[in-house]
Amino acid sequence: MRNKINFYIVEYAINSLLRQKYKTIFISSVFTMLVFLLSSLFFITNSIKYELEQTLEALPEITVQKIKAGRHYDIDVSVIDEILDIHGVSSAMPRVWGYYYFENAGVNFSLVGIDEYEEQYKKSFVDVASKLDFTKPSMIVGEGVRKVMDKNYYKEYFNFIKPDGSLMRVDISATFKAQSELESNDVIVMSKESAREIFDISAQKATDIVVRVANLNEVATVASKIKLLYPDTRVITKDDLKISYQNIFDYKSGIFLALFSVSLFTFFIIIYDRVSGLSSEQKREIGILKAVGWRVDDVLREKFYEGFIVSIFSYLFGITLAFTFVYILKAPLLQNIFIGYSQLKTSFTLPFVFDIQTLALIFFLSVPIYIAAIIIPSWRSATLEADEVIR
Amino acid sequence: MISLINVVKKYEVNENESVVALDKINLEIKEGQVVVLRGSSGSGKSTILSLIAALSKPTSGEVLVEQERASKLPDNFASEYRRHYIGFIFQKYNLIPTLSVEENIILPLVPMNLSEDEIQAKLQRVLRMFSIEHKSKQLVKNLSGGEQQRVAIARANVNNPKIILADEPTANLDEKLSLSFIEIIKELKEEGKTIIIATHDPLFFDLDIVDVEIEIYQGKII
Repeated sequence: MRNKINFYIVEYAINSLLRQKYKTIFISSVFTMLVFLLSSLFFITNSIKYELEQTLEALPEITVQKIKAGRHYDIDVSVIDEILDIHGVSSAMPRVWGYYYFENAGVNFSLVGIDEYEEQYKKSFVDVASKLDFTKPSMIVGEGVRKVMDKNYYKEYFNFIKPDGSLMRVDISATFKAQSELESNDVIVMSKESAREIFDISAQKATDIVVRVANLNEVATVASKIKLLYPDTRVITKDDLKISYQNIFDYKSGIFLALFSVSLFTFFIIIYDRVSGLSSEQKREIGILKAVGWRVDDVLREKFYEGFIVSIFSYLFGITLAFTFVYILKAPLLQNIFIGYSQLKTSFTLPFVFDIQTLALIFFLSVPIYIAAIIIPSWRSATLEADEVIR
Repeated sequence: MISLINVVKKYEVNENESVVALDKINLEIKEGQVVVLRGSSGSGKSTILSLIAALSKPTSGEVLVEQERASKLPDNFASEYRRHYIGFIFQKYNLIPTLSVEENIILPLVPMNLSEDEIQAKLQRVLRMFSIEHKSKQLVKNLSGGEQQRVAIARANVNNPKIILADEPTANLDEKLSLSFIEIIKELKEEGKTIIIATHDPLFFDLDIVDVEIEIYQGKII
């Protein structure tokens, strides 16, 4: 019998919360805010991590760049033949790409040139290559770029300003979306020929060379061989890039950690306040309940329901608010803290990432702690002699 | 039958000092009796009620109620014992002011998980019995002293306990309301309940319904 849910005790708990409605509203609001803040931060982090992983996944194993006095210069495509001779290299391709600054909007576009008959070094470009019209200057743009161009009345074409000051008209033929928004959002894909014209790169030069290695365990060896062959180059492996991205992300995570700590600190102050004792009125109520025949576990069950109702409501409401804030309203303010590293100012939608572990972590960081903070002081009062509590 | 055997109750003031509230009390109360515990404030009357209700435990000695060792009951069993055997009318009523009359009255029934019909039947019985039906939805804090006392009596009787304990029941009432309380005690006596009243109100002295009067002075029966 005692294991059955006693709905009269549940009803009593609800009434008890309603009797102290201002206090209940205040605690629920603070609790909801904390869950909202924590989950928003977690959701943004998860989304950006997902984006980062997708971006890194698409990177070539090795990138070779020409360096002069520490600065990046265009590289001779002739080095490709020698690189291909290195044992273990499966392919080497010249890339023509660069950042194009669109002054009117104050944004950078990542402009990438591809070749119709070349093997595409990114999976997402395979589909783009099939759609691109290589017979005339045309381009396929990322969604962020499309929005910026639309805003500036470039709906069908865009005029690029070449290094000699002349204009080059390139038609917008389609919009593309890669797996990662960070990857595709600021990207413009066009023929290598058009890209060379815009950046003034001759046919014998390339921005860099991407190298694929058949056996991933040999990447470091191949990279060191390339470095030996061409000491004036910077040879970047995927792992180097991962570390570099991760460092930037970790720095951003530091800010996140600071916000996270502040939230937790506030939450624990509330918890401390609750654990440190009940008001004389609350103690007296527990004494009365015991005097009229409530057992200690009846009192604790009632307190559990009180804590559970407040915390589960606040948790669910906080999570819902965070989902709305991050994925529908695009996390104004908070998003900027994290995505600064992407170098783009074009609008960016955080991808929806459902991570049950994150939800569980927030749950265990808040709900059981709050319930315990309600139950512990009540247990202290309930286990005293009823006579002592009432008096 | 209620028996107090060599009951001593001391309250610790600090580590080295204690106050003797009851000193070797021996007492027997038969079923159906109305007993008045007389004595000045601090004489130990309320402590006797508290021990019989198992709200506190004696320092030594034993309290037997219906052959049950009330003084040795573990906390949870003491609660169930109170729920079934004892109706306690406290001096300050000990109602929850922000609950309504009926919510206060059914408090002892809440942990029993009875059906709605059973709860309503018990509630209506005491509402009628103590003439507070018309106030049932009102918050207790909005009631007069006399009405609050009726609610306290109704709560003490809602589970139809065999024993009613009343601690200074007329301390906060005028004479008219005190007489009306005595009428209620008469009714409860007719129902066969054992009633123990701790009071120093002369209204209760030499009443025809009182079976036994016990004078307590400085923790001793005199």
